[in-house]
Amino acid sequence: MLKLNTLGKRYGSRWILRYLNLEVLTGECVALLGPSGCGKSTALRLIAGLEHPDEGGIELEGRSLDGIPAEGRRIGMVFQSYALFPHLSVRDNLDLGLKIRGMAPAKRREQIDAVLSTVQLVNEADRRPEQLSGGQRQRVALGRALLRNPSVYLLDEPMSNLDAQLRDELRPQLRRLILQGPQPVLYVTHDQQEAMALADRIAVLRNGRIEQIGTPQELYLKPATRFIAGFIGRPQINWLNKTNGACIGIRPEHLRPDENGDRCRLIGREWLGANQLLLLEGAAGQLQMLCSADFQPGEHLGVSWSPQDEHHFDPISEQRLSRS
Amino acid sequence: MALVFGWPMLRYSWLSMHASSVLTGLEPVSNQGANWIRLLEDARFWQDAVQTLRFAALSVGLEIVLALAMALLLDQRWRGRGVVRALSLLPWALPTTMMALGWRWIFNTPYGPLEQMAQSAGLSPLNLLSNPDWTWLATVMADVWKTTPFITLLLLAGLQTIPDDLYSAFRLEGGKTRQALTAITLPLLTPYILIGILFRTAQAAGVFDLIQVLTGGGPAGSTESIAQYAYLNAMRFLDFGYSATVMLAGFVLLSLVIFTAAVLLQISGLLRPLKS
Repeated sequence: MLKLNTLGKRYGSRWILRYLNLEVLTGECVALLGPSGCGKSTALRLIAGLEHPDEGGIELEGRSLDGIPAEGRRIGMVFQSYALFPHLSVRDNLDLGLKIRGMAPAKRREQIDAVLSTVQLVNEADRRPEQLSGGQRQRVALGRALLRNPSVYLLDEPMSNLDAQLRDELRPQLRRLILQGPQPVLYVTHDQQEAMALADRIAVLRNGRIEQIGTPQELYLKPATRFIAGFIGRPQINWLNKTNGACIGIRPEHLRPDENGDRCRLIGREWLGANQLLLLEGAAGQLQMLCSADFQPGEHLGVSWSPQDEHHFDPISEQRLSRS
Repeated sequence: MALVFGWPMLRYSWLSMHASSVLTGLEPVSNQGANWIRLLEDARFWQDAVQTLRFAALSVGLEIVLALAMALLLDQRWRGRGVVRALSLLPWALPTTMMALGWRWIFNTPYGPLEQMAQSAGLSPLNLLSNPDWTWLATVMADVWKTTPFITLLLLAGLQTIPDDLYSAFRLEGGKTRQALTAITLPLLTPYILIGILFRTAQAAGVFDLIQVLTGGGPAGSTESIAQYAYLNAMRFLDFGYSATVMLAGFVLLSLVIFTAAVLLQISGLLRPLKS
């Protein structure tokens, strides 16, 4: 189990991360999700020992990591850039760490061969990183993390350099190789869909603080703040124009066409395949609605929703208002 | 290129096949390669060739080592780095003749600071500019002082192409910071080091102004370079035909070395920076 206790890091007088409390259980994958610059990569670097916290501490398997340098921690990290050594072949990239850690040559060879076949790079063993495709490089990076035999996996935006199709291909591999293992996994990403798809729980970071921790369902169904409601879920939530200043959101999939509903004009639409996204303008402002029925731009239609699907937030504190 | 390089080379080649000195009234008269035969038997030319290569080899060797140390230092983050980076370029920005004059004073016997220090330490006079065995080291020292910043800059640029993530990954693999120098930094810096060596060797082998001002080629010709010998032949002995021959021979020797090295390195791929 990985445990972060009120972890904090500052550069100069500016805290880029503070009051970070988080537990990642054995076998669990927690996504650190947030916009760029929210401190999520810094959190990984603190856990890896590449930077030192100014506040709080880190525990791994019940032992404090204080004072243990990066080279002494058993961390399997995958970098966004993959950080492969460009002057070494795939095999030598994988071998470097084993050699440093003093493993016998025969055993090294055996382990590397096993990992090469796990990540399906047996034929690329003698190539250099620059001779590999993006997906292959990513798999070398995964292989290196596997060989570290780590007590925790830290993945820093491991798929953000890949195109959408490769990402879809790599997701199952990532699950099979790393997420299904017994080690806790901390997965940093700015892509909420990736976090929803891969993580058991998501911690949303904003300006260096955790705004909410929960399962993907919890975040989606009960966003704790206005920010989370806007950040989680695509297409984005609609904010209703209310004269009394109340802050109310309704998700596009919860709107439905209704003869007796609010009158709106269709000003645009996106064809998504199974359904379409309609852009409407009405008394409540601009609304996006997911809908399978076919409407023509310029057409007027009525829209309604059930009040229990509304998300209410305090307009000042932006905290969720519970409604029983 | 044809105008500023091709034409002078052609002109030199042509001139080297002619006698053109005070004896011929400075009119070029063909002498069927006599200049070249004279060159082969000219002990002073071959001594200068050895001295020039000796100067280039030691200067460039020391510069690379020092520049590597400086670049590594200037690549770290520390207070005042920006100021030191700017200051460290100063020797390179100084005109060679000015800095050579400065060094002449530093090496001066008996008034220069080095001699003063030797004196107060109770040593016998060093005679840095009048000892035929050691004075060439003084010229190397001045050259190293002047051109190390240039290689530092080149290597610093090279260091900055190495992503920080590689060092992070290396540490997470269990590597210590000092092991990273040989495992990552030097292999990835190799193209920059080699280019520095090629570039500076070509430059140092043509050395003229520094030695001209610092020692004038002396004592007893022990620091004279090929370029100086060519200059002497033309300007003092007014033997333009032979001067062209010396210059051309120096050029051919140097380009053989540099060109062969560059081609071999290019074929081996060592000059190409690697992408991660």
